[in-house]
Amino acid sequence: MKKLLLKKEIDAFRKKAQKLEHPREMVIDLLRAIQDHFGWVPDAGVELAADILGVPPIEVEEVATFYDKIYRQKVGRYPIHICDSICCWIRGGEEIAAHLQQQLGIKLGQTTSDGLFTLLPTCCLGGCGRAPSIMVGKRFYGHLTCDGLDQIIAQLREEAVG
Amino acid sequence: MSSTPQLLFKNRIPGKTAFLKEYCKTGGYSALVKALKTMSPAEIVQLVKSSGLRGRGGAGFSTGLKWSFFPSDKPAPKYLVCNCDEMEPGTYKDGELLAADPHQLVEGMVLSAYALNVDEGYIFIRYAYEGQFKNLQKAVAEAKKAGYLGKNILGSGFDFELHLHGSAGRYILGEETALLNGLEGKRPNPRIKPPFPAERGLFGRPTTVNNVETLANIPHIINGGSEWFKGLARNPEGAGTKLFGLSGHLNVTECFELPVGIPLSEIVEVYGGGVWKSRKFKACLPGGASTPYLTAEHMDIPLDFDTLAAVGSRFGTAGVTVFDDKTCMVAVTLNLLQFFARESCGWCTPCRDGLPLVCWLLEKIEKGQGTMGDLEMLKEQYRHIGGRSFCALAEGAMGPLDGLMRLFEQEVIDHIEKGHCPF
Amino acid sequence: MPTLTIDNQTVIVAEGGSVLDAAIALGIVVPHYCYHPALGAVGACRQCAVTILEGSQKGLKMACLIPAEDDMQVSTCEEEAVAFRAQVGEWLMTNHPHDCPVCDEGGECQLQEMTIGAGHGIRRYRGNKRTYLNQDLGPFVAQEMNRCIQCYRCVRTYKDYCGGEDFGVMGSQQRVFFGRFKDGPLESDFSGNLIDFCPTGVFTDRTNRFRTRSWDLQQAPSICPHCSLGCSILPGGRYQELQRVRAGGNRLTNDSFICDRARFGSDWNNHPKRPREARISGEKVEFPYALELLEERLEKLVEEYGGETLRLLGSPRASFEANLLLKKLAEKYGAPAPYYDAHPRRAFAARMAASIPSGQLASLKQLRESDLILLVGVDPLAEAPVLALALRQAARAGARIVALDPRPLELPCDFEHHPLTQESLLRGLSAPEENELLESLRQQLETSQRPVLVGGGELLGGEGLRLLLHFSESCCGSHDCLIFPVLHGPNSFGGGILGATGDSNRNLIEDLENGNVRALICVETDPAIEHSEPGRMQLALSRLELLAVFDHLPTNTVATADIFLPTRTIYECAGTFINNEGRMQAFDPVLEPGIPIVVTGSGGHPPRQFETTPPGSAPRSAVHLLQWLLKDRNDLFGLRRQIIKELPCLRDLDRLAAGDNGRRIADCGDTLEESRTEIWAQEGELQVLPITARYGSDLYSRWSQSLTSRFEEPSVWIHPVEAAERGFVNGQKVVLRTVVGHFHLPLVFKAKMARGRLIVPCLPGTPLEVFTPGGLSLPCKIYSEVDNA
Repeated sequence: MKKLLLKKEIDAFRKKAQKLEHPREMVIDLLRAIQDHFGWVPDAGVELAADILGVPPIEVEEVATFYDKIYRQKVGRYPIHICDSICCWIRGGEEIAAHLQQQLGIKLGQTTSDGLFTLLPTCCLGGCGRAPSIMVGKRFYGHLTCDGLDQIIAQLREEAVG
Repeated sequence: MSSTPQLLFKNRIPGKTAFLKEYCKTGGYSALVKALKTMSPAEIVQLVKSSGLRGRGGAGFSTGLKWSFFPSDKPAPKYLVCNCDEMEPGTYKDGELLAADPHQLVEGMVLSAYALNVDEGYIFIRYAYEGQFKNLQKAVAEAKKAGYLGKNILGSGFDFELHLHGSAGRYILGEETALLNGLEGKRPNPRIKPPFPAERGLFGRPTTVNNVETLANIPHIINGGSEWFKGLARNPEGAGTKLFGLSGHLNVTECFELPVGIPLSEIVEVYGGGVWKSRKFKACLPGGASTPYLTAEHMDIPLDFDTLAAVGSRFGTAGVTVFDDKTCMVAVTLNLLQFFARESCGWCTPCRDGLPLVCWLLEKIEKGQGTMGDLEMLKEQYRHIGGRSFCALAEGAMGPLDGLMRLFEQEVIDHIEKGHCPF
Repeated sequence: MPTLTIDNQTVIVAEGGSVLDAAIALGIVVPHYCYHPALGAVGACRQCAVTILEGSQKGLKMACLIPAEDDMQVSTCEEEAVAFRAQVGEWLMTNHPHDCPVCDEGGECQLQEMTIGAGHGIRRYRGNKRTYLNQDLGPFVAQEMNRCIQCYRCVRTYKDYCGGEDFGVMGSQQRVFFGRFKDGPLESDFSGNLIDFCPTGVFTDRTNRFRTRSWDLQQAPSICPHCSLGCSILPGGRYQELQRVRAGGNRLTNDSFICDRARFGSDWNNHPKRPREARISGEKVEFPYALELLEERLEKLVEEYGGETLRLLGSPRASFEANLLLKKLAEKYGAPAPYYDAHPRRAFAARMAASIPSGQLASLKQLRESDLILLVGVDPLAEAPVLALALRQAARAGARIVALDPRPLELPCDFEHHPLTQESLLRGLSAPEENELLESLRQQLETSQRPVLVGGGELLGGEGLRLLLHFSESCCGSHDCLIFPVLHGPNSFGGGILGATGDSNRNLIEDLENGNVRALICVETDPAIEHSEPGRMQLALSRLELLAVFDHLPTNTVATADIFLPTRTIYECAGTFINNEGRMQAFDPVLEPGIPIVVTGSGGHPPRQFETTPPGSAPRSAVHLLQWLLKDRNDLFGLRRQIIKELPCLRDLDRLAAGDNGRRIADCGDTLEESRTEIWAQEGELQVLPITARYGSDLYSRWSQSLTSRFEEPSVWIHPVEAAERGFVNGQKVVLRTVVGHFHLPLVFKAKMARGRLIVPCLPGTPLEVFTPGGLSLPCKIYSEVDNA
């Protein structure tokens, strides 16, 4: 089974936690690291973070569930954040969302059966000048068209196989 | 197109990032050398004060004045925090700045820290700015190596440690006290004020929070002086240049460094290349999602804090989002309110429960199911939410609603009377 | 103290008080949710809007956030504020399920009241409501999140005030959720406070679910009988069944909080085996017959053998009035003065506490306000849970907490723990100037502003408390160093007052064993369990000619009594307890005694039997029984007046009213008795210390069925280093040999306990129940089960 975090990363975090006066400030770093490694943050990830920080799990959960870019449910290998804020929305954001749902055969919030893609609506990605835009994982794509999207999906599928 | 002196964007080459070598080539870190050698912290605060620099994060408070309240004589630790949450729709200028030239922020922060006698700093960066985060990581490492950061900077005896914090989403973290909670690893609800961060901020210590663009301006002010900086603005009250992020229904949606006080018409026609698809200008958000709309009648107003406040809007972050004449302003307002409702932290009632109620009303009207009673109720919501929430988020959400009620009431009534969206 | 005007009424509020405090003081209803006097203001709900007409901040403001100022003019009636409050009511109700008819909170719901108070009546929102999945939070607290209005009070109560670590707020925007990380029983010993603090029906009492409407409850202010703190409670019952307990309010003691033992442990009152009829040699008889027979036999016995052969045993669970009447009974029959605790060492501790000058005793309020608290030989969560809450409040305000105790203490706050054995603690206190730690603590206490010493009567005994008193006197700098003694039962202190004036050095068990005693009357006490040597006591009791027991619990002593008379519980009669700081507090009856209808009717209609009295209504209060024997016809008030005449230090007794803050006793005069010297040199290589378990060890918890889920498994504790030296591993089965018997137990490692000792918690219903705490440690031997075989 895939590990939550590499042992050397855990050790590094533990070491840092001991050094810091306020170890809690690492909570987002930790959750992001677990997410980068494991793909999302399962309950065990929250518990691991709590253990490293020396706080009860609820303290981590309170923070983890606040942020929308911490996935507390399983997501596909490529979580696709579709910007639905004003600048993208007035330049065809809705069509992008509809096209993606149609192409992938899933609705917003769902994951494709092959476990590759999850569609998540998101607020502004800071790509207002390049609307409409999406973010796949942490990769930003702007000036999107439906054709362009198909290419991106195809590339990601290839990347997943390769 | 009149040429504007480029300070913040002078090293900007699309698709490229200027690092230490490029940055120093155009005078980078010369301000730091100058300040550490020839200026006292108090002189810097005074210079910034007289430069007329106003906070670029949206509120537009005088940076120098804010600094002058900072208790720099209190013992360490004290913190300087850079707010790069930049999550208000229509705002992307800090992202552009850090994509182009991250060392400006580093130098600006070291200078500001020196001015405030602060020994530790944080840059808070939003999740979506992964590239900018990496740029800053590299810039910080370079600056450290070059002796611009860390212990005994340039032999002056001044120490400054700079940490980067990558966030994980949520607009509320742009609120400075929520940001501080976020940095501390707590739930990022805004804090009650007073105490203000200057008194009790990060980890309970004196803290000042400034925006990226604000801090990046500091080296230029030190090099150019306050009079020069003031003179950069188009209007006599204004000061400096401003990064304008253009978006929406324009032919050109890019970020430009332009003088403060530039009129909207020039932004739309000259830099934005006119409204797209040869349509007409209907309205715009002048400075991000929370700023009340401007319409064609505001075309000649110099874009600056006080001038826009005078016409019931705000300069905000100068993220100009333009809407063409085929745009339904009810739908636009609904989209904006949905953003704010979704980004509410859930702490206070007007924001948590009031904004969804506003969305419900707008949705009803947009679908053609609204009544005149709903319009009245919408006005009530505006009256009750504005100024009565715990922090400024719900207050900001009232910007577009105010614009809709004030400038486009007839459009709302049309929806109700026709029983469908006329667009 | 600012003086301000609200709605044309002038009021003075305490320094630092808010406009909302001022309105509350005037009785002006300004609806509010997130504000609570015990939790403070956070400005989240935005419900308490008022208009400031004159003041440094004018206009519409949240009353909870605006400090009261001199000459401030406030209006609650301005149109804008009225409309805004109604609007907040509408917002809060958009997602509320309006399920009041099936909600246990209905009828006593702050949300109902304040929504009406806010002026919201007609629902305009017609959209979908957000819904939640609930969590299973264990047997005590039921959760119904759909009702939540997100006032954040629960998390501020559970986490911030009570220090719970398994509850919090998750999510954001309109979907914030209050609960645990995962389903499971709430771990805090104060979890039930969620029920009182939630302004609506999100957290309700699971032990009393769907049973009673608040308006059908019989309620009366009372005092919790589970420990010596005397927390104010508000019990409620119906159909002769005690159904629930809520926290009362006494800002000098428990403020608005109680522990789970108090809240969920009251079902002993309805125990199915509770003896409700008079018995002679185990046979049920008519009540008056038993009482007359008792009188007859007592008179005969006294006549034949003299009053010397009669002994009377009062108890820390009996009311002060009952204990005092017992003393009068002794006088009537010429018997020696009564004992007030079956456990001699506990009785001595109580006498010692009662002899501390009243002005040197601290209240819980003073503890909360202290800046340095030294705990000596006390485990707050086991012996006096709400003390732990007070410590937390002091710590939150910056106080330092230092504990000297052999047990692996846990507290809901940061503290410094020095795990000293009982022996070294007592030795240290006897010569603190020679003890480095105590000497350094003494200096710190001297320089602190509001120091308090907390002393555990169980571990220190009377001797230890006396030493602690001397120590406190040596710590007085510019301020007094107050003492907070922790005793065994709700009226231990009262017994201490009464016991101090009698010949208290006698030893009950020796008197019984040497055959000089022929009759014993036990009032609401079970010496066979409460004495430090239960087995020996049981044997001694069997030699009696006449054992008369007045009680309401199904104890072994009740079963073996020659004459048994059922008494009313504190929920069924009025009386007074004197708590550990000498505070007299009155309680009122909640219910009439009787078999709960839920029992007689087994869920259906009660049987159609025709009797002149309800089934199970025979019990009389112990006071009533003793007055009958004494032919005393005073009512309770008259009785209290009489007590005052004899004990002037209780001069405020007749001014008490149930539900008030109680009144401190005055100094009882210089009755500091010569102490008995305890033998601290404990022999044998290893000693075992019996301790109070967190659940089950107090006088009442052992009879509570609701609390059994929290009873711990029997085990014997050891320090890991100690274990390693003996080659034991954690969890290993061992045999513990002591004078009270041999026990097969798992060995549990506790790194924070004292070395050189074993610890066993006294657990009812297990072989470990014979380990009555309150004594010195016992010599013991320990073997692995294999070696023993």
